[in-house]
Amino acid sequence: MVKLYGAPAVSTCTRLVALICKEKNIPYEVIQVNMAKGEHKAASFTAIQPFGEVPYIDDDGFILYESRAIARYLIKKYPNQGTPLIPSDPKAQALFEQAASVEVFNFTNFVQPIVFEKVFKPRFGLQPNEERVGEALKTLQEKLDVYEVILSKQKYLAGDFLTLADLFHLPYGTVFYTNGFAEVFDSRPNLARWWKDISNRPAWLAVKDGA
Amino acid sequence: MVKLYGFSGSTCTRLVALICKEKNIPYELTSVNLSKGEQKAASHTAIQPFGQVPYIDDDGFILYESRAIARYLSKKYPNQGTSLIPSDPKAEALFEQAASIETFNFSVIVGPIVGEKVFKPRRGLQPDEERVSELLASLQSKMDAYEVILSKQKYLAGDSVTIADLCHLPYGTAFYGLGGSFAEVFDSRPSLSRWWKDISSRPAWLAVKDGA
Repeated sequence: MVKLYGAPAVSTCTRLVALICKEKNIPYEVIQVNMAKGEHKAASFTAIQPFGEVPYIDDDGFILYESRAIARYLIKKYPNQGTPLIPSDPKAQALFEQAASVEVFNFTNFVQPIVFEKVFKPRFGLQPNEERVGEALKTLQEKLDVYEVILSKQKYLAGDFLTLADLFHLPYGTVFYTNGFAEVFDSRPNLARWWKDISNRPAWLAVKDGA
Repeated sequence: MVKLYGFSGSTCTRLVALICKEKNIPYELTSVNLSKGEQKAASHTAIQPFGQVPYIDDDGFILYESRAIARYLSKKYPNQGTSLIPSDPKAEALFEQAASIETFNFSVIVGPIVGEKVFKPRRGLQPDEERVSELLASLQSKMDAYEVILSKQKYLAGDSVTIADLCHLPYGTAFYGLGGSFAEVFDSRPSLSRWWKDISSRPAWLAVKDGA
């Protein structure tokens, strides 16, 4: 059984790993890391995850951190189980890698700071930096205009089949969408279609509120 | 012959050129002049819809995003030049872990610092020094973690170099080249410094660092 050390109720990255386990029918056990008490910064934790971040997994003694690395490892370990999420054909795989890179640099890079300012900071009684939010949102809008073009020609970001690259958008994208920014997706028909599709996957619905 | 469409000075274009050099893959650079805004031309965005460089045309197969291109070329020629992605599942997972570290614990911080201190002045704009200070402060704790990792193993994914190490070179070199308190971030940490010196002296990097 995969041991998932994280905080699914608050950690987007923990939820990504739980999602992949659900998609691939991989049994897992969540071991709660109490972030409110700073457990992720304790020496016993940083001895394993040196950046003091969640999640990490212990897969039969094999320790791995970085949610996207964990996702890839689990998907490759169980290619014939559950949903196929990374193509094996070299060119299709390259297009998956292209989409995975797009997610990081043209989506999460802008969504994360918005979510940080508008959703996470207020939880700690801090004021959002509206200038940062404005800047990030402006750039995000331009990037999503491109997503709209891509998704008008194909069903998912790497082609006509769902891949891990689409799923990568769900954790931060959901926090963004459900905290006042739905219009940013809904105003773009193909993006909206794609978002509705991936965000309604049973595996995501099973973990989106806490794995 | 891989056709590389990019800008000789662009960080991401030079990453692809670096991989080609490491893997002994012949390539031909076609210039997309960023200072003239050629990356925003319709003929370019028809192929790279985000209006960014680089992209490759490998015998008709078009691919963009430099890290995707790096992976594709490394996997296409596994037995040629330097081995850059492990094939063993656990070693590959540790490579992916290191690749993710590079993105989220290095590039998302160093990229904007370089943007402020190197690219903005080129366009006649003033750096936002407050932002630079904040970013530099957050980089320090990340580099402390790198120091711990690199005190136990030679490279970020283990004892062999991988793409994950090489991805640090383009932005890292621009950052290090700022000197002063920026270079100090690497120089003050012995294992990090050792690693930086190692990767930044690789002949393949020296061949492309001043232009793809």
